[in-house]
Amino acid sequence: MRASRLAVKTMLAGSGIAVLAFVVAIGAPGASAQVRPYTPPTSVSGGGRGAIGALLPSDVEIRAEATERLAKYKPDPVKYPVPRTKWDGKPDFSGVYWSDATITRPALPLESLYRPDVREYREAGGTVKGLIDWRNGVETTGLHCWPPSPMSGSMSIITIQLVSSPGFLVMLNEGGGQFRIIPIVGGNERPQGAPHKPSFLGSSVGHWEGETLVVEVTNFNGKPWLGGGRGSQLPQTSSDALRIVERWSRPDGQTFDYEATVEDTKMLTAPWTGPVRRRALLPYDMIQESPCALDSELYARHLEYAAAEAARKKGASVR
Amino acid sequence: MSGRAIAGLGAVVVAAGLLVGFRQATRGNETAEGIAASGGSSAQTPWGESNLMGVWKAEALGARSGRDTFNLTTLEGLYKPEARARMRKLSANDDPTLRCTAPAFPRAAMSGHRLQIIQSPGFAFVFTEAYPVARIIPTTGRPHTSGKYLFPTYLGDSTGRWEGNTLVVDVTSFNGEGWLAGGVDKPTRASTGVWLTSDALHVVERWRRGGVDTLEYQARVEDPQMLTARWETPTVTFKRQAVDRIEEALCLPEDDPATYLTRLGS
Repeated sequence: MRASRLAVKTMLAGSGIAVLAFVVAIGAPGASAQVRPYTPPTSVSGGGRGAIGALLPSDVEIRAEATERLAKYKPDPVKYPVPRTKWDGKPDFSGVYWSDATITRPALPLESLYRPDVREYREAGGTVKGLIDWRNGVETTGLHCWPPSPMSGSMSIITIQLVSSPGFLVMLNEGGGQFRIIPIVGGNERPQGAPHKPSFLGSSVGHWEGETLVVEVTNFNGKPWLGGGRGSQLPQTSSDALRIVERWSRPDGQTFDYEATVEDTKMLTAPWTGPVRRRALLPYDMIQESPCALDSELYARHLEYAAAEAARKKGASVR
Repeated sequence: MSGRAIAGLGAVVVAAGLLVGFRQATRGNETAEGIAASGGSSAQTPWGESNLMGVWKAEALGARSGRDTFNLTTLEGLYKPEARARMRKLSANDDPTLRCTAPAFPRAAMSGHRLQIIQSPGFAFVFTEAYPVARIIPTTGRPHTSGKYLFPTYLGDSTGRWEGNTLVVDVTSFNGEGWLAGGVDKPTRASTGVWLTSDALHVVERWRRGGVDTLEYQARVEDPQMLTARWETPTVTFKRQAVDRIEEALCLPEDDPATYLTRLGS
């Protein structure tokens, strides 16, 4: 429990360096033998401002500094009024957001709610068994071009652009190029049109409760990891029973707040309410194109996996 | 003109406006579900731009099996000799989209995949169902992103302006790695299915509503390093789809193994 709590805290702090240090300390046992290995490129890393910080002008914040500043920041809606849309007068979320801070911590770590009987499933990486060799301490879902769930990345680390539009909130991710289109409906309306295919990001439908946009997300494909999957921490897998209820609000014109409650009866013993995370605006109005490209070794592994899956499905249909 | 005449004219305009409004409301009710859900069918956004919002789909176009529906025979004839020499060394299997890189417009407009347009004051966003890529198009006519902050990309840097009800989008800063058509597009006997571009690619697109439930798209393509003259695409007509959003499409081989592997083998 102690270890998992540490890991969850580490995840929340979002510090890759700390996680990496954790992996080195614990070791990476049990890497599956049959998976095509992955050799990561040499990357820039280091503590404090480190090697990345050294590349930046001294007045440019690194992420840890921005997080610290945001954590201390007191939203000021008088000085920075919440912008409102021209069509319904509701808070306008449009903008590019980067730094992130945890405003309230969850009562329990998510890890503590995982059912013991799904341990083996989690070890294997869930639905996509063996595709991600998470034990090697390098591979993450993001490296495999999976879209980040709000818990695993969209509310931390990566730069996002939010767009308020009549009937929609849209979230664009700079790291990976994925996007989320959230239709907003009136009080008792349901989303319209044909039902969607189950997906990584699920089907979202939002409605306003006063000044808060409440978004219910269902129809997931059973693949997303909500966190974990590094070092000794098991992947926090989800199932097709995953349901997330999000609360989006704007404390002032510089920030937005996000909180999510997660239910998954196949994985968790009880619903989990995550931290309130705050993100702050950057002085830009659009992000850059940055599509996800699989590393060639990982791409080869995906192809092998797909071929095995296709053969398995063919075999199953012949029988 | 007398004040009275002006007042009379005003009344006619108001009456006509009411009629048009009524007709649109009626039309809206017929397919209210999808239209309301995908951004509304009203001709204008609340901030007064032409409303291009919705989920849209056109027929798949191109030149499969020699039948050219995208003016690709003309494009093929425009390639310079040195470009042809480079292209002869490649094959249809080198099509970068087979490796999950995003096709830029206008190629993306002939894929037959659905697209979705979202607008906000000062911006239009184009999302396609083929690849998880979003185009961000400023619509205020501002200059291209400064080279100081820009790196070339598959989709290029877009900036748009309104000419009446037409959104005219200028696209530059391509990375020169995308293709203008697919490996399967072979309009003539001599076709190799290779359609290279350079980083000098320059695209000017015209997006406009054709009617309540149609969207029209046309593009002009220049690439002085590859082509001897500019190439014009035909006008592509998209039809409104009664859904609130496009599907997630990540281009991961394991998501739909059979389809992916077949495509790769083509």
